[in-house]
Amino acid sequence: MLSVILTKQLPGFTLDVRWDSRDAVTGLFGPSGSGKTLTLDCLAGLVRPDTGRIVLGERVLFDAAAGVDLAPRHRRLGYVFQGYALFPHLTVADNVAFGLGARPRAQRRRRAAEVLERLGLSALARRRPGELSGGERQRVALGRALAPEPALLLLDEPFSALDLPLRRTLRDDLARVLREWGTAAVIVTHDFTEAYRLADRIVVYDGGRVVQSAPRAELLWQPASEAVARIMGIPNVLHGTVVKATPDRIQLRWRGQTLEAVNSPVRSYLPPPGAPLAFFIRPEYVRLIRKDRVVADPRHHMNLMLGEVVADEDFGTTWTLRIRLDEPGPPAQGAFDLEVEVPHLVYEILEIERDRRWEFSIHRGSIHVLPA
Amino acid sequence: MDLFPLWLSLQVSFVATVFTLAVGVPVAWALGRRTFAGRDLLAALVVTPLVLPPTVLGYYLLVLVGRRGPVGRVLDSVGIELAFTWKGAVLAACVGSIPLLIRAAQAGFETVDRRLEAAARTLGRSEWSVFWSVTLPLAWRSVLAGAVLAFCRAFGDFGITLMVAGSIPGRTQTLPLAIYDHVQANRMPEANMLALVAAGLVIALLLGIGRLVRLRY
Repeated sequence: MLSVILTKQLPGFTLDVRWDSRDAVTGLFGPSGSGKTLTLDCLAGLVRPDTGRIVLGERVLFDAAAGVDLAPRHRRLGYVFQGYALFPHLTVADNVAFGLGARPRAQRRRRAAEVLERLGLSALARRRPGELSGGERQRVALGRALAPEPALLLLDEPFSALDLPLRRTLRDDLARVLREWGTAAVIVTHDFTEAYRLADRIVVYDGGRVVQSAPRAELLWQPASEAVARIMGIPNVLHGTVVKATPDRIQLRWRGQTLEAVNSPVRSYLPPPGAPLAFFIRPEYVRLIRKDRVVADPRHHMNLMLGEVVADEDFGTTWTLRIRLDEPGPPAQGAFDLEVEVPHLVYEILEIERDRRWEFSIHRGSIHVLPA
Repeated sequence: MDLFPLWLSLQVSFVATVFTLAVGVPVAWALGRRTFAGRDLLAALVVTPLVLPPTVLGYYLLVLVGRRGPVGRVLDSVGIELAFTWKGAVLAACVGSIPLLIRAAQAGFETVDRRLEAAARTLGRSEWSVFWSVTLPLAWRSVLAGAVLAFCRAFGDFGITLMVAGSIPGRTQTLPLAIYDHVQANRMPEANMLALVAAGLVIALLLGIGRLVRLRY
């Protein structure tokens, strides 16, 4: 159990956050400069907050009101810095053993060897950090932080120093290490996929504040606001008008269409008719209706719209189509109304390259309402 | 030929360098790593020996450590005499050379990545341990280069030493003072010899240190 309340005033920036987590891995996610790393530094005791309280399990690490401020060396936290901050003058083995200073020599060596073995670093024990690849450095940094058996592991953008193909492999690698070692962790990242892949709970930062803290699945499907949806980089964040809201359905007007959406089951949201309403449609959940098939049950499709593909982009395994609806007036997103994602196979079978006019349908469960 | 001035100079500059390191390294670390009240004043004070005329510096030192001076009286009561002894020459050499050490060491400490020191702290190390296991091992070349410069400067000091220790042959007459003495008395071969030894020694030291500092991990 980790509970964090802190404020810190810096020139031109104010951090004012409050969150807690019972989950094994907590992700701090948000744009760069939103205060994520500053939070880690406060947790580690490297930066002293102005006010607040940090409690890890039974231990109070910091409490401004009670005058508690444990020194970094007494906090028992493992910190994996951005860029790793390995000691360049020490071998891999000495880097890993660095935090074992308090133990007898023989025990120190045994523990370091054990950690190197478990992380598959034994062959590199005598190398120096300068001779290692990015992925190897990350492992050494992990080993160095894990060796003293920290109560909590802090990871600051663990993949920022790596190139893209390696990031994916190491992301799965890190997920496995965290699971196997069973150490609670806080991971800072500005990449939502990374946060989602590694963390059980995600705390969303923006401008020095927490805008949402939720289990990862809840965040994915129910961002708390339009701001959160934008930080997550969700496409098709749109603005309509409420027609009618009931605890389980919301009817709304958008671009001349009347759309029906499912109201959020956890926070039934009942805006009055005529109120502006933000919502988003996941591009991979928009269906293209095949012209060669007669639909047996017309209720199979809902929220039907007609439009034209005005642009498409190849993303390797998927195509992103930009759709402009057959409605007068300016499109919702500049030159187009809706972004739709289809797998390559579908793009080829439907001959979208040639055939640009389509009818679309969106299930009501795929239109997600964003509370104001 | 009397080589006493050479041996005296070597002894004085060696002892002076040891003291310079003991005082200068902590000061350099404080200037490079800490913020505290009076930091700017200390930084300015550290440079003054470089810009003040050596005789002025020597004069103030003499006033301070002379038998009637405030520091001199305290030292006198514990049986230490500085003015016009070889120890006075050590003091003169220290004061003249410490800016070179402090500036080099401070620059060295400032180039050490603070994240490395932070990492050491989170790994359970005390500030003392952080210095000895991270900061100094990563900055030792700059410290060593500063120490060699300080040694050379101490070896060559003339004005401050003359004021504080005098130029007593066989007791406080260091090599630079002896050269001056020889020239005054028109003993050119002796002056030549000593000057050559001094120049050769200093150039050899600087060349050696240049090679050492260029080594990298």
